[in-house]
Amino acid sequence: MLRTASLVLAVLLAGCATQPQWPAVAVGDANVRLDRSVRLDRSVQLDQVPFHPQERYQCGPASLAMMLNSRGMNRNPDDLKELVYLPGRQGSLQVELVAAARSHDLLVYPLDGTLETLLTEVAAGNPVLVMQNLRLSWWPQWHFAVVIGFDADDRRIILHTDTREAHRETVEVFMATWSRAGNWAVVMMPPDEVPATAKPVDYLMAASDLESTNRFDAANQAYQTAEQVWPDQPAAVLGQGNIAYSRQDWAAASRHYQRLTDRFPDVAAGWNNLAHALAHQGCGVSARDAAACAAQLNPDRFGSTPDLAAAPASESCPVIRCPVPAAD
Amino acid sequence: MQGFRKHMRYISFFMALLMAAVTVGAAPAAAGVVGTGELLTEQRVELDRQALLDMLEREEVKAKLADMGVTQEQVEQRIQNLTPTELASFEQQLAEAPVGEDVVGIIVLFLLVFIITDMLCATNIFSFINCIR
Repeated sequence: MLRTASLVLAVLLAGCATQPQWPAVAVGDANVRLDRSVRLDRSVQLDQVPFHPQERYQCGPASLAMMLNSRGMNRNPDDLKELVYLPGRQGSLQVELVAAARSHDLLVYPLDGTLETLLTEVAAGNPVLVMQNLRLSWWPQWHFAVVIGFDADDRRIILHTDTREAHRETVEVFMATWSRAGNWAVVMMPPDEVPATAKPVDYLMAASDLESTNRFDAANQAYQTAEQVWPDQPAAVLGQGNIAYSRQDWAAASRHYQRLTDRFPDVAAGWNNLAHALAHQGCGVSARDAAACAAQLNPDRFGSTPDLAAAPASESCPVIRCPVPAAD
Repeated sequence: MQGFRKHMRYISFFMALLMAAVTVGAAPAAAGVVGTGELLTEQRVELDRQALLDMLEREEVKAKLADMGVTQEQVEQRIQNLTPTELASFEQQLAEAPVGEDVVGIIVLFLLVFIITDMLCATNIFSFINCIR
């Protein structure tokens, strides 16, 4: 009787447990340096990620230290405790880890939460910071760990986690705990590198997060990197102009905005920002012309003429020509 | 009246200071300039819209829409007119769907919700459908 019952139970449980499919081939854009045909059905372990065992409740500082160390930054969990550990909550928040990484001039790129993407990043040499829920959804035990490798034959994910170095977790356990934490995963990149699975707008969003937290050098570098990898993205050029503008380097800002309007004449924001930079440079006429181009492209947003400072005109002011509207 | 004016001047001065402080603190790019994030948000909306349009190209979706008596062109036109909020809510429904669940079902359900509420004239998002009333 008992045997029958346990058999039934085993069958039922087996029915519930889904077998995660191990992806075979890496994902990613062809224009990112990782080769499209990189195989994931093999084993990979990143050696450049040092291990820090966590102290009680302090997986956040330990994981962050490992991520920073892997980028050649000499920080240990004790240094970082002040930045990212909340004694009252006995833990760290994701946003704090992200903010702390940004304050070290790293670009924090969120992954899309699939196993394929995770493994592709690891195969490309990028350790991945993940969040897991080690207990149940209604009684959570949050945990941070760093994925440093995988083994397709054994179906294992290799993590630096709690006090275990290069712990080999089955993909079933990993997927269950990871998905209970919303499949949260990020890579932390030096601003002159692009994650293997990066998508242009998402990467630029991450770069603009650096800009809006006033990490201007890092953000500028990231925009330049993006401009090289994805020449068709206007925001990469706009960002460089906006940083120059924030630094009140009007000439540099004008140069970037002009580059933007040359290459992307349909982007009204470029003309609008150019107008403001030119006004600061003392090019009143050019500024008004550029503002008129912006208004012509997008009357709702830029229709009202901005109050541009009319400084004395100088001879080096550019001649502005609006794009000819394309016939529909 | 004079006293009120004098008062207003102080309040305006204070408000101007406050707003200047808030602006400087919140936005790295000065007022009037379009921030990088703003342009990116617009681009993201267009990407979402394109993703939705791409889904219409799937045969199962086409078949389902034909069953419902709606032409693909009509739906495409509607998608062009969806607001960023509506697009975002759709994206979220897709994201929350369990892995492996029938994506077609969600797409059609989404469109259905808008079409039916429109037929009842609860919204006027789908203007191509004539109201029941």
